[in-house]
Amino acid sequence: MSLTHEAWADALRDGDLLGVACADCGATYGTPFAVCNDCGGRDVETTDLPTEGEVYTETTIQVPPVDFEGPYQVGMVQVGSARVTARLEGDGEAVEIGDRVVLDGVVESGGEPAPVFRTATDGE
Amino acid sequence: MTRASVVGASMTTFGVHETTLTELFAEAALGAFDDAGVGPDDVDALYFGNAMGGQTENDTHLAPKAASQVGLAGVPCQRYEDACATSSNAFKNAVEAVEAGVHDTVLVGGVERCTPETGLGTGEMTRIFASASDRYYEQPTGLTFPGVFALLTKRHMHEHGTTAEQLAHVAVKNHANGQLNPNAHFGKETTVADVLESPVIADPFHLMDCCPFSDGASAVLVTSDDRADSFDDPVDVQGVGHATDIVPLSAKAVPHATQAARDAASQAYEQAGASADEMDFAEVHDCFTGAEVMASEAIGFFEDGEGGPAAEEGRTRIDGDRPINPSGGLKAKGHPIGATGTGQIVELTEQLRGNVGERQVEGAERAVAHNLGGDAATTVVSVMGVRR
Repeated sequence: MSLTHEAWADALRDGDLLGVACADCGATYGTPFAVCNDCGGRDVETTDLPTEGEVYTETTIQVPPVDFEGPYQVGMVQVGSARVTARLEGDGEAVEIGDRVVLDGVVESGGEPAPVFRTATDGE
Repeated sequence: MTRASVVGASMTTFGVHETTLTELFAEAALGAFDDAGVGPDDVDALYFGNAMGGQTENDTHLAPKAASQVGLAGVPCQRYEDACATSSNAFKNAVEAVEAGVHDTVLVGGVERCTPETGLGTGEMTRIFASASDRYYEQPTGLTFPGVFALLTKRHMHEHGTTAEQLAHVAVKNHANGQLNPNAHFGKETTVADVLESPVIADPFHLMDCCPFSDGASAVLVTSDDRADSFDDPVDVQGVGHATDIVPLSAKAVPHATQAARDAASQAYEQAGASADEMDFAEVHDCFTGAEVMASEAIGFFEDGEGGPAAEEGRTRIDGDRPINPSGGLKAKGHPIGATGTGQIVELTEQLRGNVGERQVEGAERAVAHNLGGDAATTVVSVMGVRR
């Protein structure tokens, strides 16, 4: 069995970002898939993704769904050759496209974790 | 080539409705019957769209309920759910069914209620809409649908220099068009400054960059090419493309390309034997202003990066060289999720018949509809033309 959601979530809570890499074509994803969407290969292996990356795109949600308290910033982070969708924390300033960010914990909603990336400071 | 023909088309006003889902659908369906001059005995099946009735109104298995309301009890009924592309997928399957000879004439349509008439407020409805995003890799972040399109649009702005002012021009244009559409939820004279001064929902989108929550229904009657001439005013379906893309957004190679739309448009144009340049106008899925800009590029009306400047220059106005959303689009006409796809088909049918008065695209003979659903993961693109 390839990477499960449960294993992805448990690792995330431990500070590790897991993705999957196709042994046949090398495609890498930031979330589990049973089969590679690039080549159809089933030999999809769990891989450690970098916990530091670059903001690919972002927005600030001013009107949240029920059970969320806005405003908060959500974005996609490029981590190596994969991307993940995450909460962004800018230490008082909005995080922008191209900014370096590091994984810094999770937020939980309905028992499911989402990664939180924070603006990288020098030396990280 | 002609794959099938639309011989009846009707929609309710999009806005706020107190009536039940099946009553609302009946209003559109009976309008389509009357437009085609048929009754239930002439209809062989129902292809029905409703995206969220289970979540919003505890109302599921709606296709036979809707059929029963309009005298179609007993015919084969099927319900489609593809987020905002729900009823265009019903339309695609209906076209295929009559083309293949499975049915002669079918009723296709959709209905949805999204306003507080459902008893649900903004936060609850925002949560239900977000159910179309990835359950495990997007929803826990608190991502909303304005947020989904904000993420795509911000990257589009970064790559191409698209500006907030250009986005606002889309809203100004669609509101102006909405004034000319008696079925539209909204429509008014507004300005770029008005848009930019409205409250921010998810940057870069202000309130006026966003479509409203709407109630409404739409329906069309689809029949085979060889039967179409026995009706008064058929409009031909020349191509229907349907493609999907990977979910979640983070797995897409170039999220703001909306690849499913490009793939679906290629299929539709190929079937029609036509190019984007031969389309006299488009109805596109402008759930947010940025979505119209991306759609205008994905369907080939403009080169990548030229959608924003084209909106600013007025090229997409009804009297421009590439009119987009003469109906007012989702932005002003409204967006009752499951009714939106066939609502676009109603607009194409009425425009190509030359029946829409002040918002008529002069001389329109061929047009394209683009209906996108959930994380840009489903897109149906339809090409229709005046019957020769």
